[in-house]
Amino acid sequence: MIGAVGAGLLGLLALSIPVGIVLFLLGFGVDTFFSSFPLSRGLGNMVWSSSNYATLIAIPFFVLLGEILVRSGVAGRTYAALDRWVSWLPGGLVHANIATATMFSATSGSSVATAATVATVAMPQAEKLGYDPKLFSGAIAAGGTLGIMIPPSINLIVYGFLTQSSIPQLFLAGLIPGLALALAFMAVTALICAVRPELGGQQRTFPLALMLRGLIDLAPILVLFGLIVGSIYRGWATPTEAAAVGVAGALLIAAFFRGLSLEMIRLSLLGTVKITAMIMLIVLGASFLNFTLASAGLGREINAFLEGLGLGPLGTILVVVVLYIVLGFFIETLSLMVVTIPIVVPIVLAQGYDPIWFGILMIVLVEMALITPPVGLNLYVVQGARKTGKIGEVMLGVIPFALIMLAMAFALIAFPQIALWLPGALN
Amino acid sequence: ETLAVVGSWSGLPLHKQYEAPFWSETLPAAVEGVEVELTTHDQMSLGLGDIYPLLGQGVYDVAMTVADYAVADAPELEGLDVPLIATTADEARAMVEAARPMVEDIYRDRFNSKVLAIAPYPPQVVFCNAEIAGLEDLEGLKVRASGRMTAKLLEALGAEGVNVSFSEVPGALQNGVVDCAVTGAGSGYSAGWWEVSTHLLPIPLGGWDSVVTAMNLDRWNSLSAEMQEAIQTAVTEEFEAPAWASAQTALVDDIACLTGNGDCPAGEARNMTLVEASEADATKAREILVGEVLPEWAERAGGDWAERWNASVGQVVGVTIE
Amino acid sequence: MEMIWIARLRRLNAGIAVATGAVLLACAAFVLIDIVLRGLGLPSLGGTEEIAGYVMAVATAWGMSYALLELGHVRIDLLRARGGARVRAALDVLSMAILSATVVFIAIKAWPVVERSITMGSRANTPLETPLAWAQVPWFAGWVWFAAMACLLTALSASLVLRGRLDEAEAAIGAFAEADTLK
Ligand code: NA
Ligand code: NA
Repeated sequence: MIGAVGAGLLGLLALSIPVGIVLFLLGFGVDTFFSSFPLSRGLGNMVWSSSNYATLIAIPFFVLLGEILVRSGVAGRTYAALDRWVSWLPGGLVHANIATATMFSATSGSSVATAATVATVAMPQAEKLGYDPKLFSGAIAAGGTLGIMIPPSINLIVYGFLTQSSIPQLFLAGLIPGLALALAFMAVTALICAVRPELGGQQRTFPLALMLRGLIDLAPILVLFGLIVGSIYRGWATPTEAAAVGVAGALLIAAFFRGLSLEMIRLSLLGTVKITAMIMLIVLGASFLNFTLASAGLGREINAFLEGLGLGPLGTILVVVVLYIVLGFFIETLSLMVVTIPIVVPIVLAQGYDPIWFGILMIVLVEMALITPPVGLNLYVVQGARKTGKIGEVMLGVIPFALIMLAMAFALIAFPQIALWLPGALN
Repeated sequence: ETLAVVGSWSGLPLHKQYEAPFWSETLPAAVEGVEVELTTHDQMSLGLGDIYPLLGQGVYDVAMTVADYAVADAPELEGLDVPLIATTADEARAMVEAARPMVEDIYRDRFNSKVLAIAPYPPQVVFCNAEIAGLEDLEGLKVRASGRMTAKLLEALGAEGVNVSFSEVPGALQNGVVDCAVTGAGSGYSAGWWEVSTHLLPIPLGGWDSVVTAMNLDRWNSLSAEMQEAIQTAVTEEFEAPAWASAQTALVDDIACLTGNGDCPAGEARNMTLVEASEADATKAREILVGEVLPEWAERAGGDWAERWNASVGQVVGVTIE
Repeated sequence: MEMIWIARLRRLNAGIAVATGAVLLACAAFVLIDIVLRGLGLPSLGGTEEIAGYVMAVATAWGMSYALLELGHVRIDLLRARGGARVRAALDVLSMAILSATVVFIAIKAWPVVERSITMGSRANTPLETPLAWAQVPWFAGWVWFAAMACLLTALSASLVLRGRLDEAEAAIGAFAEADTLK
């Protein structure tokens, strides 16, 4: 069944049918060929229930927050300031992409929203300065994935919900791996560009005074981060509600920099609705496909497969990693988590692993899923923002970063303390 | 005959201890010619309110979940599980048995389904991160609860109902977004709520969260009479009866685990303060139920449901809706 | 002729999108007021989580047509981009037709959900007791609207293609928008 779905997916996508629609069609296919039950009768209920879902409202809120920061010029100033600090590295502005993505990750719970924000700010620079489009856009797509690792994070909220583990603890656990990933992304960029300088555009240094003055431009984002994460830890807001706090904060910051106007709000709302609808068509299609796959016995297939292997803890976790990489090619991240958590987490916990730690490992793996073709939302978001060139360039550009994520997954398995030290130390 | 069966929450004891073994092993062994494909509604990511409507449409053959999830389509179903009026498993079972004919009618008419069993989830008790000495002290506190009748009852007690999803409760308790929260004692123990709350009020403020197992009516009618009887007997004797039999022990054990008063088979015992509900508490709760909450329900349910309830459940628990 | 209609549809759906966005913004304000009231120890508005769910469902449905007209729904053009103008036009019309058929099917299947809530008088299992039809009727209408827009756009662009006006067709239903709202 998994094979047939994979083949169908590739075929339909190649016809350039919209990705969300392809997922619906595959659901109809699973219903017709692999299920003895009239699953499509449940289509209306699935579409209603998967969109009438309060946690998802965080997506448009975080997208709107990003739009406001972009259109009020705050995001642009952040990008320029970070550029002054990191462009001396081999690779120049590519590092600013990663650094900006990291900072916005701290104010956004959604990787797609983060990637959309950074892509919008950064893309115009790439053409001006003559960067290799692959590496430049790949860095944005990959950097954007940090949105769900560095708190706040919608996906960690969903994980906490489904596994009944503490969301504030998960948030703490994601901080160090998130920052480590950001540093590793920059390191690999520097390495690539040291070997092949033509990929990275020019390295630039700025006078210290200019660098220090740039720090002021970072203040709004830091304030916003403090507001969002602070409101969660001080108990003012639940993690989902904090997204609304972020929108209010972004509006205040925009007003402070005199970037607020009716036209700017109108454009921000238009952008938000467009990106939200784009994401939701895929999320809804994925939910329906999940529903049909689960009804047709995907859970049993995975369960029987994992238990049939009869491996020890290490073997099991390695198989789980491979499983997520393979499923991650085809399944959108939230659906991937929702469909697998009830099956995989009990098996993993039974091997003695910590649920908080596994949550972080899973986030690294679904971050990879965001940038692996054919279904990789961040690839599309970045391509959507750049408008020229082929999406294949973005897909090639993310390869080094995907390898870093894989390395991070293994590092987490070898050294669980990367995730568990901070929550432990603060308790 | 292959039956597609959708179980309740895959992570909770009812599914792991009773549903999964019964449907995947006991039933196929007990009834010749029956095979089962078992999944759960969370693995299918079904909306909670969709589980029975989809059963009625024949998307699968058998489903089981908390009846409370279905009251959006059937307000009369709230009468199955009224909070606070049954404090022991035996009382809860008597209440459920009395309500059973009503439940069967509701499932036939609203969900095109045949009721096979009604099993208990653990009673929904109160965890507080605030000093309380009894039910009265909930007045003015922010309480997280699910279910309409519980929310109405809290309102009548002068508490404020707050909507927080289950996973966000520990953070919300710790930070004071809520002062108290209602869930099963066992779920609260395994989800670590004892870390963030101090007082435990072990009365079923959220009722017993009865789980109804039902089969699509068309499918049921398509089975031979012998098959129907064999399945019903197996469900009643091998699933429903054991689930009830262990309910009281489970409650005692779970409370011991949370408070340290007694042995905890599930792991390390914790030291929450056990708050005994006084006689005055019980009287007051009953007054509010009879005076406000149940009459409101009678109005929501409409028809002759209040009369039917009085003549069945009301008789057993000694409550009459005016 | 077709281009005039497509431009009209774009304007109309951009208006709807602004309204949809405004609803989202209002929802954020509502959540925020709730947080502030709670912080001040005042009784909260209650039901924000429930309402956020409804807003998400309705906003999603009504945002779809705008994303469609702005070429926002993600397509993979690895193969398409290798073809000539005729291949691209054929794939674009095929994609639009399949999308339209799927969305029409979704809209049809959405009706029983609403119908059930209306005939049963279903109310949310919450203190608000929201009649579910109040949320589901606008949600259903959004999918019907999306289906109607998709069919119209398919017909208009197929007509363009049949008359050989491939460039204009590509601007209407190609893989990427030329001018984007995100600047
Ligand atoms: Na984040
Ligand atoms: Na992927």
